[in-house]
Amino acid sequence: MTEKSEFSTLLAGVGGQGLMLLSSVIGEACAMSGQRIITGEQHGLSQRSGSISVHLRIGPDVISPLIPIGSANAIISLEALETLRYIEYLQDDGIILMNSRIMHPITETSQVAKDKELSYFGLEEIEKRLSEVTENVLALDALALARQAGNPLTENIVLLGAVCAFEAFPIPMDKVRSAISQIVPEKAREANLTAFELGLKASHARFCDKFPCKNLE
Amino acid sequence: MGIDDIISEAPKTAFMLCNEAIVRAALESDIKVYAAYPGSPTAEIVDTFYALRHKLDMRIDISSNEKVALETVAGAAMAGLRGMTSMKSVGLNVASDTFYTLGYVGVKGGLVLVVADDPHAHSSQSEQDGRYFSPSAYIPMLEPSDPTDAARMVKYGFDLSEKFQTPVVLRTVTRVNHQSGLVRTGEMKRTPFQKVDWPHEPTRFVTVAESARNFKHHMLERSKAIMEEFENSELNTKSIGNSPDVGVITSSAGYNYAIEACRLLDVSPSVLKLGTTYPLPEKLIADFISPLKRVIVIEELSPYLERQVAAIAKEVNPGIEIIGKRSGHFSEALEYNANIVAKVFSQLFGVKTPRDYDAVISRAQKLKQGIPVRPPTFCPGCPHRGTFSALRKALKGVKHVFASDIGCYSMSALSPNFYGDSMLCMGASVGIAAGFFYSVNEKVIAMIGDSTFFHAGMPGLVNAVHNDVDFKLIILDNDVTAMTGQQPHPGTPLPEDEPGMKRVLLEDVVRGMGVEDVTIVDPYDVKNASDTMKEALSRLGLGVIISRRVCALHGDRLKRRSGERIIPNFVDKEVCKRIYACEKDFHCPAISIDEEDRRVIISRELCDGCMVCAKLCPIGAIKSTEGAK
Repeated sequence: MTEKSEFSTLLAGVGGQGLMLLSSVIGEACAMSGQRIITGEQHGLSQRSGSISVHLRIGPDVISPLIPIGSANAIISLEALETLRYIEYLQDDGIILMNSRIMHPITETSQVAKDKELSYFGLEEIEKRLSEVTENVLALDALALARQAGNPLTENIVLLGAVCAFEAFPIPMDKVRSAISQIVPEKAREANLTAFELGLKASHARFCDKFPCKNLE
Repeated sequence: MGIDDIISEAPKTAFMLCNEAIVRAALESDIKVYAAYPGSPTAEIVDTFYALRHKLDMRIDISSNEKVALETVAGAAMAGLRGMTSMKSVGLNVASDTFYTLGYVGVKGGLVLVVADDPHAHSSQSEQDGRYFSPSAYIPMLEPSDPTDAARMVKYGFDLSEKFQTPVVLRTVTRVNHQSGLVRTGEMKRTPFQKVDWPHEPTRFVTVAESARNFKHHMLERSKAIMEEFENSELNTKSIGNSPDVGVITSSAGYNYAIEACRLLDVSPSVLKLGTTYPLPEKLIADFISPLKRVIVIEELSPYLERQVAAIAKEVNPGIEIIGKRSGHFSEALEYNANIVAKVFSQLFGVKTPRDYDAVISRAQKLKQGIPVRPPTFCPGCPHRGTFSALRKALKGVKHVFASDIGCYSMSALSPNFYGDSMLCMGASVGIAAGFFYSVNEKVIAMIGDSTFFHAGMPGLVNAVHNDVDFKLIILDNDVTAMTGQQPHPGTPLPEDEPGMKRVLLEDVVRGMGVEDVTIVDPYDVKNASDTMKEALSRLGLGVIISRRVCALHGDRLKRRSGERIIPNFVDKEVCKRIYACEKDFHCPAISIDEEDRRVIISRELCDGCMVCAKLCPIGAIKSTEGAK
């Protein structure tokens, strides 16, 4: 069975949040550490505030770009609603690492504007529903950390730092850092490297009692 | 993988998108001319070549459409140079006139044509199965399953093309083009670009009457010879499993899912992976199915392989059970995944799937109940939002029918706008508008993007001028082919590094065609645009309204390059009276409603600072964070 020697992650988010860059960084880090990786990406319409996903599979025998239903080891989600939208890919008790940020879709705002009684679909409800699939729902305010890093567009790298804290994540941290330096344009490099460290530390501080983490030393 | 890696001479292992691997392989094959029109899922082939245009000794064109692109590389290949073009599935419809006849006359220099189908219609208007072009045009077809496979097939494709003097199709699908993985590149030794003397051979590339009939005979012989070659091709691989009676025949992305499904269920049928899918290696298939009791054909979309397997089976193994779409096990709709294949295998091999996929899906559906949909929409700052806002104001109370076209503006048909009465294919809005004018009582409005107009809209407009058709054509001029990644088109303002090129202005073109009523508006100035449109729309006769403002994504990129900052807006809550004029019919993703006080808020991160919403607010509640403009 291939499943056991494989780490599959579904990346989810909203167009414009940098999912393709995140996928490139992880891919490059795999190339550097000699690990086989296959991704199934969604280009094309993806910059237009729509829902997007990337299937990312790491392991010596991976062959297909799409994660089978119910088989992802983790979902990394840059927007909370989008976590729920792809929940069928996660295996029971898989890891959910998500941004607590919600970007309200225009379809919902147009309803909320019309009806005074209506409120937006909220984080609490999302977390409640996700908990029916897994206990490992980890939410971080990636936007706050990204701002702290000096660039609100680095939410993607905050979450990459956060997932790197986990023992289960198969790519060595130093390779991920090198890949960030290589892929991210020079102007934004420093902010992205800071975002990575902030994500890593936040995750270590918040989730390590719940989830086996790597030693940061 | 960066651009420089793609042209690095020495071989290396790199993480590459399949579309990048295709470019690299074409460069390793020493191609001299590349021309294409962008279309998803092949746009990154165009982008990669375009980014390299000043670094390579070759001709790289972004053409006005796929037919022109194919003709450009065909001209080069007739002269003996190697050429490549790439297009999405429906692009080959446009190029098909050239394609069919090019199959007749053939080429001298290698010509590889990448055609990408889009099962699931992720970014296309249909799930068209492009595999049927090849057999009807007698043009050989190769089908890769991953980036490494694609690179190998591009290189072989050029050799095959020259050996048999025929164009060669590399047929991909979205899940191949947009698959990234580790690819080992080959040696790259490029030769200098040199023009050649045209080798005068009268009628060599002319097909008419007798020569057409001769070409047809030649083409049939050629296909037979290529089939012979394919019978022993390394691109077709066979693995012998331990279920002696059962075999799988597959190709393209289907192969990946088939192998994964075998592993998931721990079953091992023999597998024949077909890399050469026209002409099919019939003997190879016959030998494979002869000893079997049951063959499972795994391919997305139409039963292209399955029907031919059935035809071959009739001769060599009429009793064999063929599992596929015609047996009801697989669908002709949507893309596959390993779990879809595993479910069928589970039934056939009597083995349980590792999970109850249906149960997982139905639980997820329950969990997702009531979550808001998030269809793709116009970006913050997109000029189309202003155009639609102005247009709908101008048309208030006017009964009309609205023919839309292919581009970002197609999304007006999606929630929450739901605006659009027809949308078929590139350029169709203009022709359809003529039909509407002949047939309906309402006023006829057509809308087309700048790039789409240059691509396939111009013949429709010439026709309308000539036939005295009365409709208003709105051309959205945002400087680029926006939807596929903001590539340049003939109307794009020229960059400084392209001194020899010429910008073709839309208003010059439409006036040159004979349209007398031409109006130009700025969609960021909604009020003026709306008033001007209203006046233009009330005039009788054919008219063109050009709505001109740079694509927000492209404009932001230009701003970043020049160091100009994007200054977001904010809502002054003291002023906001919950009118929601900024939201209604505008629907910007940066705008939402504060649940505490029901006033509007604007996301600093998302706002592009276009100020259009500020102009829509009648009480001036929306302001720039750095002083109102």
